[in-house]
Amino acid sequence: MSHHYVVTAQKPTAVVACLTGNFTSPTDLNLIIARNNQVEIDLVTPEGLRPLKEININGTIAVMRHFRPPDSNKDLLFILTRRYNVMILEARMVNDVITVVTKANGNVSDSVGIPSEGGVIAAIDPKARVIGMCLYQGLFTIIPMDKDASELKATNLRMDELNVYDVEFLHGCLNPTVIVIHKDSDGRHVKSHEINLRDKEFMKIAWKQDNVETEATMLIPVPSPIGGVIVIGRESIVYHDGSNYHAVAPLTFRQSTINCYARVSSNGLRYLLGNMDGQLYMLFLGTAETSKGVTVKDIKVEQLGEISIPECITYLDNGFLYIGARHGDSQLVRLNSEAIDGSYVVPVENFTNLAPILDIAVVDLDRQGQGQIITCSGSFKDGSLRIIRIGIGIQEHACIDLPGIKGMWSLKVGVDESPYENTLVLAFVGHTRILTLSGEEVEETEIPGFASDLQTFLCSNVDYDQLIQVTSDSVRLVSSATKALVAEWRPTGDRTIGVVSCNTTQILVASACDIFYIVIEDGSLREQSRRTLAYEVACLDITPLDETQKKSDLVAVGLWTDISAVILSLPDLETIYTEKLSGEIIPRSILMTTFEGIHYLLCALGDGSMYYFIMDQTTGQLTDKKKVTLGTQPTTLRTFRSLSTTNVFACSDRPTVIYSSNHKLVFSNVNLKEVNHMCSLNAQAYPDSLALANKNAVILGTIDEIQKLHIRTVPLGEGPRRIAYQESSQTFAVSTLRIDVHGRGGAKPLRNSASTQAQNITCSSNFLPKPGGGNSTAANAEVGQEIDVHNLLVIDQNTFEVLHAHQFVAPETISSLMSAKLGDDPNTYYVVATSLVIPEEPEPKVGRIIIFHYHENKLTQVAETKVDGTCYALVEFNGKVLAGIGSFVRLYEWTNEKELRMECNIQNMIAALFLKAKGDFILVGDLMRSITLLQHKQMEGIFVEIARDCEPKWMRAVEILDDDTFLGSETNGNLFVCQKDSAATTDEERQLLPELARFHLGDTVNVFRHGSLVMQNVGERTTPINGCVLYGTCNGAIGIVTQIPQDFYDFLHGLEERLKKIIKSVGKIEHTYYRNFQINSKVEPSEGFIDGDLIESFLDLSRDKMRDAVQGLELTLNGERKSADVEDVIKIVEDLTRMH
Amino acid sequence: KCPDPKPSRLLSSNYNLTSRHARTQAGFNTSRFDRRYVHTHFSPWRSIRSADYEDLEFTCCDLAGKYIIVGTQQGDGRVFNMNDGVEQFFSNCHNFSVDAIKANRAGDLVITSSFWRTPTSILWSIADDEFKLKLRLPDVTYCEFSQTVQDRLLGTQNECATLFDINTGSKVASFTPTIPNLYTKNRATLCRTDELILSDGVLWDVRSGKEIHKFDKFNQCISGVFHPNCLEIIANTEVWDLRTFHLLQTVPVLDQRNCTFSPMHVIYGASLGADRDHDMETTTYDTSFNVLDAYDYSSIATIDVKRNINDLSVSANGSLIAVVEDYSGYESKQETYVKIYAVGVKKSERSEEEDDEEVPESDEDG
Repeated sequence: MSHHYVVTAQKPTAVVACLTGNFTSPTDLNLIIARNNQVEIDLVTPEGLRPLKEININGTIAVMRHFRPPDSNKDLLFILTRRYNVMILEARMVNDVITVVTKANGNVSDSVGIPSEGGVIAAIDPKARVIGMCLYQGLFTIIPMDKDASELKATNLRMDELNVYDVEFLHGCLNPTVIVIHKDSDGRHVKSHEINLRDKEFMKIAWKQDNVETEATMLIPVPSPIGGVIVIGRESIVYHDGSNYHAVAPLTFRQSTINCYARVSSNGLRYLLGNMDGQLYMLFLGTAETSKGVTVKDIKVEQLGEISIPECITYLDNGFLYIGARHGDSQLVRLNSEAIDGSYVVPVENFTNLAPILDIAVVDLDRQGQGQIITCSGSFKDGSLRIIRIGIGIQEHACIDLPGIKGMWSLKVGVDESPYENTLVLAFVGHTRILTLSGEEVEETEIPGFASDLQTFLCSNVDYDQLIQVTSDSVRLVSSATKALVAEWRPTGDRTIGVVSCNTTQILVASACDIFYIVIEDGSLREQSRRTLAYEVACLDITPLDETQKKSDLVAVGLWTDISAVILSLPDLETIYTEKLSGEIIPRSILMTTFEGIHYLLCALGDGSMYYFIMDQTTGQLTDKKKVTLGTQPTTLRTFRSLSTTNVFACSDRPTVIYSSNHKLVFSNVNLKEVNHMCSLNAQAYPDSLALANKNAVILGTIDEIQKLHIRTVPLGEGPRRIAYQESSQTFAVSTLRIDVHGRGGAKPLRNSASTQAQNITCSSNFLPKPGGGNSTAANAEVGQEIDVHNLLVIDQNTFEVLHAHQFVAPETISSLMSAKLGDDPNTYYVVATSLVIPEEPEPKVGRIIIFHYHENKLTQVAETKVDGTCYALVEFNGKVLAGIGSFVRLYEWTNEKELRMECNIQNMIAALFLKAKGDFILVGDLMRSITLLQHKQMEGIFVEIARDCEPKWMRAVEILDDDTFLGSETNGNLFVCQKDSAATTDEERQLLPELARFHLGDTVNVFRHGSLVMQNVGERTTPINGCVLYGTCNGAIGIVTQIPQDFYDFLHGLEERLKKIIKSVGKIEHTYYRNFQINSKVEPSEGFIDGDLIESFLDLSRDKMRDAVQGLELTLNGERKSADVEDVIKIVEDLTRMH
Repeated sequence: KCPDPKPSRLLSSNYNLTSRHARTQAGFNTSRFDRRYVHTHFSPWRSIRSADYEDLEFTCCDLAGKYIIVGTQQGDGRVFNMNDGVEQFFSNCHNFSVDAIKANRAGDLVITSSFWRTPTSILWSIADDEFKLKLRLPDVTYCEFSQTVQDRLLGTQNECATLFDINTGSKVASFTPTIPNLYTKNRATLCRTDELILSDGVLWDVRSGKEIHKFDKFNQCISGVFHPNCLEIIANTEVWDLRTFHLLQTVPVLDQRNCTFSPMHVIYGASLGADRDHDMETTTYDTSFNVLDAYDYSSIATIDVKRNINDLSVSANGSLIAVVEDYSGYESKQETYVKIYAVGVKKSERSEEEDDEEVPESDEDG
């Protein structure tokens, strides 16, 4: 059997639909955004958008619309999923808590109907009498609305119109009336149908207009009292209401198809239109009063400016609009009344969207054992690379070049009511410097009471408006007001101070084996006790465990030689607990801290590892010893506060923030290479900030809200398709598509983008299939014609600057790309596959595989070979080039003459779109014929088909999980796993790849890559996971698939079954139905996969529900079978969440 | 009139597989083009011949799971393993040519029909590698299983259609048109929901037993079949709306062709040998089958197999089709075999060679 765990690390970001209405209350203006299986409810406020709630639907949202029942002052939400579930949702606000209630739901699928191929459409009657949908070929599905019914029932009406492009309901009609734009052999026509709701049938055709524009695609119903409909074509706009007809052909309109609209005013006179080029237009209807009432007199269209390529637009209020996008970032924009540089559009905020993720590279750029994902995201002008990593981001606000810092503290100097700190003390070898922060300015200053000719060990504000400075010689108490020394304490004899710790009332000083406890008083330092320990003190801490207390009752000490952590009681410095740390590495930093009410002792060692214990506040007893590896260098621990929670910063070569989540410690990387010292800083110009010192500088910055995934965007201005990483040249290669427009002097780029602004630009020689072969696109292009220009970009791995752009001549298209070391050749090459794409041909006839070498800032073509089709996939295969070319899989070897020579070839695919290899085995994903396993027989130099999955599946990505187990993603958003059956008794069975696990993900995976987002081997895990495959989807989600053992699967499956019952989903779609594996008419239950998103929702349950969920659940802990309790399960689920 | 606008480049340049592949990944809906592309190529995958092919003539076939059931001119029902082409077992089912053979979905029942000698249709249960006689249906010249639950048989006796209980063989209902059309090759058929019957150009309501509509007669032979969407009837070249009885469109390429539906939403149209035999004089030999889009009846491809087609069967998932091909040259002896084609796969050089040769050779991996 085959057992897997699949979980989302980054939720889908592509916006399917957005709308504005009054949902949470009659006076609240809400923006509702639908993404894949989620609905986000925001409040529109004068300050901007405020997210109120996010709900998950057990289904992929196909259509979301809203309506207002006639007797209501609030809007309701209608959602239709891809699997034909429908629901009507209401948002209710009770005591500032929003609940989303399913008013009605149902399933409107039809077992006989053939799903309409152009996608589903749904519209709602303006008087909310009926919902109409185009779901199946030749049918119009209606749901008559009954206010009290909780079940939505559908009736199918026969619709004569077969190719339907859009359907809407007309306003101001006695009976619900739909208007349809459809195509037949004569052209496209607009036609209205009146619906008889009682008999559930079409009554009559109120009016129609034959032969509208041949490319008309969209209908906009105009509200009463004007009524009628606007028909949006490719070049023209027509208004029609049965009798009145107006047309306009705006000149600015020619380039792209309008694909969405938003009504601006409720009177229906102004509309926003967006097209696939990302152009925003305003459409105005001019009206006149006639005897028949208000009628349309003329239509005006004005170009407003550029936005993200919109999927949907909604007008919020006061000139603000939300642009929902699936090819670039979604946006909040404002419309200006005056044009600035010809544009009325002012971008206000961008909302990250990774969709569509076309390719990903997983690389460990910082060499920290932690992968980062680089995605090819977005299309056309909104294309970008996204760098995604787990960790905590530091936003750098200022940087001061100061090498050699040995310590750093922030102080409030001067008697001042201000809560802000104004001074930074920096320690260097043999001296100390003091910086004053006034506004954003930083100046060097002096505090007379401080010893500036010595290295400072510690500095702090303490009680009675005093300051403390500790050097190797003494502890100095300085008045904050006068800045003069008021008291000084020196260790007796010629001892020097080694390590020190203090809080606002107490100081603990150690000199070799002796420790001294000093109490801070107004104007004096009083040594209260001293003690000699058995070994020298390596580090110590006197931080009060209780944050409300000023003094501590306990002291933690780390010792040399003995390698132990010791807890002493105050004031007598009595040893009350000793914990031996195993190993020989001495402790370097020790810290007592409290996270979420639990007291911890953290002890960092000289090798970058750290022990942590749970600490008893009174007895000092340490329990639950655990160890993590944070870095490779000695680590220093400092506490800081961020967003009113305590966090610990571990300074090392891999700076880490330690915080607590759900009563467990979480270790999160910081996006800085190295931090030697840090202190928190709350200055006027830098509130809630951190000062971080590395070898050369001090950085003042703020810490991001502790969130998990960090996404950095590198906009390209053109669409990236494939990415490959090359370690030897420290570069990425990215293939992109740029759209040029033919002018009188040839093709010109439409805009500046990555490939036009590269440091070096080269152009590929014109590659023609045969003499006289037409290059129709380039040669015969008309003025204004768009041309696809493909570029190979070489991008620096650190700066993401485009170092080189190699441009191909249209119609040559890059289809795949990899970095590889070939044969005995010491160089690493970029291997690029191209083909000549003629739109009128069913598939390219000729292409080539080119070997490039990027070396010393030069891109050189080393070799090329012609191929008879498109190479869709390239894989490095034992030093050779494995290629899926059309219906062939081929292997090319790299000869000593630096040429590609075909070694073997097999043709048994429709199109070998996806390839993966492991050892001698090759996994092929086909356009329709699922997956096939091939073996390369090296001796004979042939490919042999080992096995194949005989059930047709339209593949979208494949991956090899282990030698026998193969993962596939197909076009309906399903994942499946096939396994090779080596133990089968007959050849016939061996040739099959039985499907052992299946799951409906609800999103289409475009790419799988082995790799992990989290640091490997950090802390111990209780979850036995095996391998890790990352995936990127069409809707911009990133997730993880991993293998798990049977017993763990059984345990999680038990938990899953219980959670399905406990967690009631909005929309009332059964989880089982959602995750069913459906391909065409075949429906099978999900099996072999655990839904990690459901499992993780366990942590959001109340304690009571958690108890219900684990009731009767058994698990094996330390080899012992026992019934699970809530704590066990929380621990396991939290460990699972650490995967991402 | 102004020239029509050019089709949107974004929506129209999906014809080329390579540019389409990139669009599919970016989330554009391209499934229609992929489906059509796949159904333009058919590669010979297995050939099935009988060991004594010189004496046997295959007439009809049905793909049932990993087996293919074949009827012969000599009255045999023969079962072959599809993967290796090895004959599993056979039985003499009729004294004369088997004209139609059809297995149920479970593959445990087979119905065979022979036009000439009674009993003309027989239901067999298949168990332990044997055809076991289950029911004789005298005078029924064509028979099919009901669609939803396969517990009934619909038999055709000239213009009359009869529903039989599959277990008892008793007649459940009979449907005789008041004014018959007398199609020469009437084959009574049930729609996918088993609610309607079409026989001799007349539509019946199964539950009430009432005639609903008699369609106009545009040809002499073919009564028609239901489109799987249960919205249309394809009667030879005419497509009728099942609810309004309007003539929706005419599809000339389907003239005198038998329609077989694939779950991948295409229609295979072929003129079959069993139909030809009866009026040999008038029918020209047609060695090709058509592939039509089941959404709009537009033509996707015409595949010439260069031999007469006796029967065509589509596998349950639509990825394979079996064609009973009949070669009869002037000089050589008549020879028939079943060729199984892999849908979507291009003919490789090897399979193309094999295709051109007439030497029986069936080992095509692929």
